[in-house]
Amino acid sequence: MAEHFPEPVVEQIYTLNLGPQHPSTHGVLRVLLDLDGEFIIKADPVIGYGHRGHEKMAENRTYKQFMPNSSRMDYLSGLLYNHGFVLAVEKLAGVQVPERAKYIRVICSELNRISSHLLWFGTYVMDLGGFTPFLYAFDDRENILDILDRVTGSRLTYSYCRFGGVTRDIDAEFIAMTRKFIARLRSRWDDYHNLVTKNVIFIHRTRGVGIIDAQLARQFGVVGPNLRACGVAFDARKSEPYEVYDRFDFEVPTGVKGDALDRYNVRLQEMEQSCRIIEQALDQLPSGPHINEMAPFKVRPPKGEVYLAFESARGLTGYYLVSDGSPYPYRCHIRVPSFGNLHVLTEVLKGTLVADAISILGSIDVVIPEIDR
Amino acid sequence: MAAREELIKKIQALLPQDAVCRDDSYKAGVVFAAQAPLGKLREAIKLCEGCGYYLESITALDFQDTFELVYHLNCYEPTSRISLRVLFGHDQSPPTVSDIFASALWQEREVCEFFGIRFTDHPDLRPLLLPEDADFTPLRKTFGAVHAYHKREEIYG
Amino acid sequence: MGSEMASDWIRIIVGLIIVLAFSQLNALFLVWLERKVAGHIQLRYGPMEVGPHGLLQTIVDGIKLVGKELITPRSADWKLFILAPVLVFAPVLVAFLVLPFDEKLIIRDMNIGVLLIFAFSTLSVLAILAGGWAANNKYALLGAIRSVAQNVAYEIPLLLSVLSVVLMTQSLRFAEIVASQGKIWFIFLQPVAGIIYLICATAETNRAPFDIPEAESELIAGFHTEYSGMRFGLFFLAEYTNMFIVSAVAAALFFGGWHGPFGFSFGIPGIVWFLAKVYVLLFVIMWVRWTFPRVRFDQLMNFSWKVMLPLSLLNLVVTAAVLKFI
Repeated sequence: MAEHFPEPVVEQIYTLNLGPQHPSTHGVLRVLLDLDGEFIIKADPVIGYGHRGHEKMAENRTYKQFMPNSSRMDYLSGLLYNHGFVLAVEKLAGVQVPERAKYIRVICSELNRISSHLLWFGTYVMDLGGFTPFLYAFDDRENILDILDRVTGSRLTYSYCRFGGVTRDIDAEFIAMTRKFIARLRSRWDDYHNLVTKNVIFIHRTRGVGIIDAQLARQFGVVGPNLRACGVAFDARKSEPYEVYDRFDFEVPTGVKGDALDRYNVRLQEMEQSCRIIEQALDQLPSGPHINEMAPFKVRPPKGEVYLAFESARGLTGYYLVSDGSPYPYRCHIRVPSFGNLHVLTEVLKGTLVADAISILGSIDVVIPEIDR
Repeated sequence: MAAREELIKKIQALLPQDAVCRDDSYKAGVVFAAQAPLGKLREAIKLCEGCGYYLESITALDFQDTFELVYHLNCYEPTSRISLRVLFGHDQSPPTVSDIFASALWQEREVCEFFGIRFTDHPDLRPLLLPEDADFTPLRKTFGAVHAYHKREEIYG
Repeated sequence: MGSEMASDWIRIIVGLIIVLAFSQLNALFLVWLERKVAGHIQLRYGPMEVGPHGLLQTIVDGIKLVGKELITPRSADWKLFILAPVLVFAPVLVAFLVLPFDEKLIIRDMNIGVLLIFAFSTLSVLAILAGGWAANNKYALLGAIRSVAQNVAYEIPLLLSVLSVVLMTQSLRFAEIVASQGKIWFIFLQPVAGIIYLICATAETNRAPFDIPEAESELIAGFHTEYSGMRFGLFFLAEYTNMFIVSAVAAALFFGGWHGPFGFSFGIPGIVWFLAKVYVLLFVIMWVRWTFPRVRFDQLMNFSWKVMLPLSLLNLVVTAAVLKFI
């Protein structure tokens, strides 16, 4: 366990720059570390290297034109963000969605969540020095990308959802591929547990490292698997059910201590819960249209606002849309989960070792472009 | 449910009668929206913190006649989100809440750099996403390409 | 008298040439082997394009490295900076002089063969420190410091485990040690010492899971961050040659050197047995690298001082006691 080191022993503190070009900071993140030997006295993340001005773009584009932007904020959960944006506009404008479309969107979103967690799993263990699970995880992830590619046409950033449904209907081949993939993924859990979870070195690098307690999480607005690892069972799919999530039977996995190992376990269990949701959705899938033909071509939501929260792979994400009655939003603000998740590191990294900093950064699962927007 | 009801009672006690607008159908994603004067903002936020809420987002809206700061707070119970709204002029400075909720440190930095709203008593208001030497405020409706610039009553009536 | 000395000299020179050639070829082969092993463990093929199954890949990579610009940072200490890659190679080559490839195939069977190898391998730590310091880069310095601490810490259990074997054979000459393993290999008589030696050897050569000094994802590239082109290539090749040396020493001290199992050689010459054992050990070292994550630095140091050292001391005492009373 790393010792906590609040006061420097020696007067010489030197500043180390972690990033922005660094193999382990996911995206372009720069952390200014004040070090005393190997212990971190102060950590100050510097972000904004990937700022593209999405919120300003939103004010100058119609709702439909903004749809590709939504995927590009957090490109690892592109479909989830696309889904969330479409939900927000539908809620504001009062557009009806047929049942089949809702189920299709849920299935694709959960597949996207699994692929995001798989990528996180591979890169996290790679940051710790184990290069092999990365390729196993990507092997599984390729299956998901193939499945989603069939129906959406994209591998990473999707614009699949439309206001009122989805672009293209899924066919029997899609359903068969998905079922086969779920079976294959379930057979892999043993591999992953034997190779990584039970590995003594891995456990030593993650147990007791980067503990976030529930009070600190509340102060900084930490959400998602990081919060659930502290013991708080808070999931937007359960607390504000949207689409058809209230019809499925799934659990919200929680941890106990809030250390990196708990975050790791929570994410692995979440993948299993996503498999359960997909299975139930496939069983309950109704027939019918895949899009509401009566939905307006150019959406003009009435004056007002909406705040729609959904659960992306990183946590609770909020779309705050203010409409002035025209086809262009007046304000579009996205509350991203990585904002709070990264911010809490200014407290958590104090008193840890530099090697632990890498482990903690990886376990938080931040995607910098979504913070930078 | 418990935290939500408790907070609603306390906020209703703090603010004038017509400032709190409750909506149980959660149509706009919030269970109530409260209009607070600038002077009562910190007290209201402290009440939220005391009821176990966390600060989800701080954002600003730029109107021709006023600025509006919107604070969204949520707690870990189902459908409990509330929004606190503050109106003030383009040259006024709202107080900071970063000593109540640490996440406001970064949220207010972002609002400051994009709208030019300076929060009094904030320990560190340098830009978060924009470069350190940025002297422009992108999300103001007086900057760059702007589609529409309204007065507040045109949207909220 | 004169012709004896002349033949002696000729022997040394021929030996040196063979050693240089062999060590370079070996390093080239090991780089290819590592990439193939890594590939197959990771469910992919590794290099396949250049030459049959990518055999010529290393040569082509070497040509590429030679063609790169040799950058020296302006504020670096250029004398040390240029000297470090050369320094790291020199001791490693000396070790080849005493390795027992076969009964008659030792270049110079010195009385203090074992001691010579370990004395010279410590010099390479100096070279790493020089390289990290001279680069004038915080990452490089951190990597160099970690490397020195790690090497010093793991040197001691390594030497103690070797001492246990030396106690048994009462000689520091490689030829004698290997010859006394004719009936049974020392790994069966000294399993604890053997395992300690293998773990410490992995740490000495800065291989994963002990590769903190060159931890790719933590410190960019550790002590060789600022090196480019062939200088970086020299560090790289020196690491593989070092791996060969420690595996060869393990094969000689614990796995019977040029003997076959239980003394049966099946007509296969001793050198083939020796090289086979060395390469199997090298394969195991590579296998471990691609399977395990990295150990954190303080855990690494704790492991050495609190686990390896007492164990190896205990082993030594038990060996001495057993030898006294049998």
